[in-house]
Amino acid sequence: MRHGPRPEYVVRQAAQLVRGSPWLTGVSALTIALALTLVGLFAMILFNAGKMMHELGQSLTLSVYVQDATTPAELAALDKQVRAHEGVKSVTMLTREMDRERNRKLLDPELLKGLDEAALPGQPVLEVEIDADLASRGDVQELVEWTRSVKGVQSVEDVEFGAEKLRLLFAIVEIARTVGLVLSIVLLSSAMFFVFSTIRLAVFSRRDEIEILSLVGATPGFIRLPFLVEGALQGLAGALVAMLLLGLLHLELRSLVRDVYMLNATWSLLPPGMILWLILGGPAVGLAASAMSVGRYLKV
Amino acid sequence: MIQLYHVHKRFPNGCDALSDVTLRVREGEFVFLTGPSGAGKSTLLKLLLVMERVTDGQILIGGRNIHVLRDASVPFLRRNIGVVFQDFRLVPRRTVFDNVAISLEIMGLGRKEIERRVNQLLEGLRLVHRAQAYPGDLSGGEQQRVAIARALVNEPAILLADEPTGNLDPDLANDIMNLLLDVNRRGTTVVVATHDVALLERHGLRTLVLSRGSLVEDRPRVVRPNERLSQPIPIQALRAADPLAGRSTQPLSRDTAGEEP
Ligand SMILES: Nc1ncnc2c1ncn2[C@@H]1O[C@H](COP(=O)(O)OP(=O)(O)OP(=O)(O)O)[C@@H](O)[C@H]1O
Ligand SMILES: [Mg+2]
Repeated sequence: MRHGPRPEYVVRQAAQLVRGSPWLTGVSALTIALALTLVGLFAMILFNAGKMMHELGQSLTLSVYVQDATTPAELAALDKQVRAHEGVKSVTMLTREMDRERNRKLLDPELLKGLDEAALPGQPVLEVEIDADLASRGDVQELVEWTRSVKGVQSVEDVEFGAEKLRLLFAIVEIARTVGLVLSIVLLSSAMFFVFSTIRLAVFSRRDEIEILSLVGATPGFIRLPFLVEGALQGLAGALVAMLLLGLLHLELRSLVRDVYMLNATWSLLPPGMILWLILGGPAVGLAASAMSVGRYLKV
Repeated sequence: MIQLYHVHKRFPNGCDALSDVTLRVREGEFVFLTGPSGAGKSTLLKLLLVMERVTDGQILIGGRNIHVLRDASVPFLRRNIGVVFQDFRLVPRRTVFDNVAISLEIMGLGRKEIERRVNQLLEGLRLVHRAQAYPGDLSGGEQQRVAIARALVNEPAILLADEPTGNLDPDLANDIMNLLLDVNRRGTTVVVATHDVALLERHGLRTLVLSRGSLVEDRPRVVRPNERLSQPIPIQALRAADPLAGRSTQPLSRDTAGEEP
């Protein structure tokens, strides 16, 4: 003799519950879909912004060209001064020879053929790596101005474009994080409320049935299981719809990033792990909501 | 099989439905429970099913004191007690087949076994052709038989029936009574609550009389051999189809429920 209900029985009863109130069940599933789509959308934005920041962050360095006549001691002093400034993450000091060597490496070897080494440009330079935080606050320009004003500095290479992009990303991330969190919580709770109500109505409409089952010897678990499965099924349906919507949103955002903002970055969907979490999240949310409803209203 | 010692039941509203009831029903016995309306018949059955708990006294079923039974054990006690309610209590959304199958589904039997047992019983009760009908589409007598089928399909040790012949015409009532007697003959302890005096007199079985919550009479069985055999037995098909038919004098043990014969 086996124990516990047959899975087929449970699914059939759960399906019966769905059929009992198809509209309400549909609305519940849709609210879950909406909530999960939103969570997924914000996760996608954050994920891609993080990826882009990583890509852009590496080019966020200020090249501070120092006057030719500067002595190594003066250069070292300059290095110290810049290093101490707010928003500066690190400074790499390059002498004229080191800069020349670097430039040589950057050039096409074909071009270098027969070229006088000394003719290559070279200048003492401080490679200043900027704090990503500073870039997000939009203070890069200030830092650039300050650096320009420092005695002995000849010119500062413009980093405004990279910083601008980074600033945009930071803004997006900030907005996505707060708006996403708030909206996700609001939508997830309302989705749970819908499931909760659907299950409550299902329990109420089956009071007689529940009592009969109990009287012929069904355990509380046996009686509750179909209701829990119904909640989980609503969640699963919602998750699948959310996946579809996310896929469409992904395509839309990808072309937006590429064609409108001209960002030279690839926009990806979510990593497979996150997709799995979202798909599991649907049934989990549905199950949690129906468990609350069943715990509260299904007394046996 | 069933023992009550000084059982007292007072409802929260102060109504004393049963007071100081002491009785004993032996394994394999057939007992009528009678008395005027409000005497406490249904209350007694409810106590046996643990739908209500006693206020005072002890109830032993199969030697176990159900007063101290934990809530979690109640379902397992109920599986040993088949019940036929006066209002049938069929699930309107489930077919006849599924209604009868409930008693087996809760035990976790496999689909094949459930189909075999339910179909066999429905055949015996001449209900096979209604297997896919819903209770709302059945006549009173058919519903009654479905309720009995659900109570019997897991071969419980005890069968309780509350006014099983209540609002049925005499022929149908007779059919149902014969079915219950037949079940009893195969070893099930049967308790029938009724105030159908004609029914009591016709069968001359042991009768417990309740009045305003007290047991006022315990009429023993009148032995009238062969009487039942002269009556039409619609249940012969059931006996023929029943794997336990050959062991008709053996009491049904709760341990055999759910096993292959
Ligand atoms: N849940 C309850 N709460 C309060 N009083 C109740 C409850 N159930 C039954 N009673 C009372 O207990 C007494 C016995 O009721 P019970 O239903 O056992 O009578 P009965 O013998 O089955 O009557 P009938 O033949 O009409 O079915 C009645 O006075 C009834 O009003
Ligand atoms: Mg009654």
